[in-house]
Amino acid sequence: MRSPVATAIAISFGLIVLIGYFIPADSANLQFILTIRSILIGWAVVLAAVAALVGVFNMLFVNMKRMTAKRNPDRFGFVLVLAFLVTFVAGLWFGPGNSDYQKAVLAVQIPVEGALMGLVAITLTVAGLRLAQRRKTLMAGVFAVSAVVFLLLASGLLGMLSDFPVIGFIQRLPIAGGRGILLGIALGSLTAGLRVLLAADRPYTG
Amino acid sequence: MDSQLIFTLVGFVLTLMVFSYIFGDNFLFRLAGYLFVGVSGGYVGALVIDQVILPRLIYPLLTEGPIAEKVLAGIPLIFGTLLLTKLSPRLARLGNIPMAYLVGVGAAIAVGGAVFGTLLGQIRGAAEPFNLTDPANSMGGMLEGLVILVGAVGTLVYFQFGANTRPDQPPRRAPVVEGLALVGQIFIGITLGALFAGVYAAAITALVERWLEIITTIAKFF
Repeated sequence: MRSPVATAIAISFGLIVLIGYFIPADSANLQFILTIRSILIGWAVVLAAVAALVGVFNMLFVNMKRMTAKRNPDRFGFVLVLAFLVTFVAGLWFGPGNSDYQKAVLAVQIPVEGALMGLVAITLTVAGLRLAQRRKTLMAGVFAVSAVVFLLLASGLLGMLSDFPVIGFIQRLPIAGGRGILLGIALGSLTAGLRVLLAADRPYTG
Repeated sequence: MDSQLIFTLVGFVLTLMVFSYIFGDNFLFRLAGYLFVGVSGGYVGALVIDQVILPRLIYPLLTEGPIAEKVLAGIPLIFGTLLLTKLSPRLARLGNIPMAYLVGVGAAIAVGGAVFGTLLGQIRGAAEPFNLTDPANSMGGMLEGLVILVGAVGTLVYFQFGANTRPDQPPRRAPVVEGLALVGQIFIGITLGALFAGVYAAAITALVERWLEIITTIAKFF
């Protein structure tokens, strides 16, 4: 078996956390399992934070490498690295909760996010028109009709019809597909999680 | 110059840089994108250190307290240090053990969340309209519940791609499965259409808000 220690750690700690779900909070005899579980989840939170930090610094190092590459260097990488370092050092110096620091960060984030969201509106319009022109299937037809109906409902143009019970029924119809999709995602997560806990999948051995 | 005016001007310039993408991928759009990623990455890094790593990993080791508390803080410190080796391709193997811990605990939380958070909650929600002991449930509500139940089952069946095979014939799903999958296709279309409408409405709102910001900024100077 490849990486037996890592596999044993994943299974044992994973099972302790999983067992905790089935123990009532007021159980006196098995309270120690809930305590251990709480400590284990606390460690996982810290490790997830370290993993996020590893991801962020990996992005920085990749961009530094691309910036200084001999063939086709990425000149925009300099902007990213400089912006990262200034924001990171200022964040540690003043604290991320500092109101002036937050104002400066938000002065960049809000306009870019808002404008990107605005571009999404344009892209969605073009994509919607192309879908209507090119794909004439049952799903595309239902999708288009549903999108128009829900846009009209959201716009408030059909406000005078809101007293009709059929409008409420139409507004609740997406619950069906949403519920099916959510159940599918949950079943997928359950299968993937159990495969990890049974060591059928070992994504950490790479 | 007033700091608020500087932030307004920065926002104005960045908005125009992003909107320049309407004319195709260009230098200004890329510059705004790289700046955004750099600032967001730096902010996330500072936030993670300030809110999680310092208070939960470093301070418990530095402050006076029971030895058990220091031992409990020492283990994630060792795991965290090993995880940092993932940044180096040569030492990355050392990071497998904390990764295994993270994946194992994460998988258990995912299983628990899927069962207790989604599966049981959604099944309860689907069964609720048929609860005859609840006086609030009417015949109309039951019919609506039935439509939504059939839609949810159809949606699940739509993603069922197993089929029977017979000699000299292409694989085919059973007629009941085909019928339910067709119903599921209609309900998926309705749901995706509703989601599209929601995202589109939000995007239009953002677009209008940005244009108003541009107009307001220009009006300030003229």
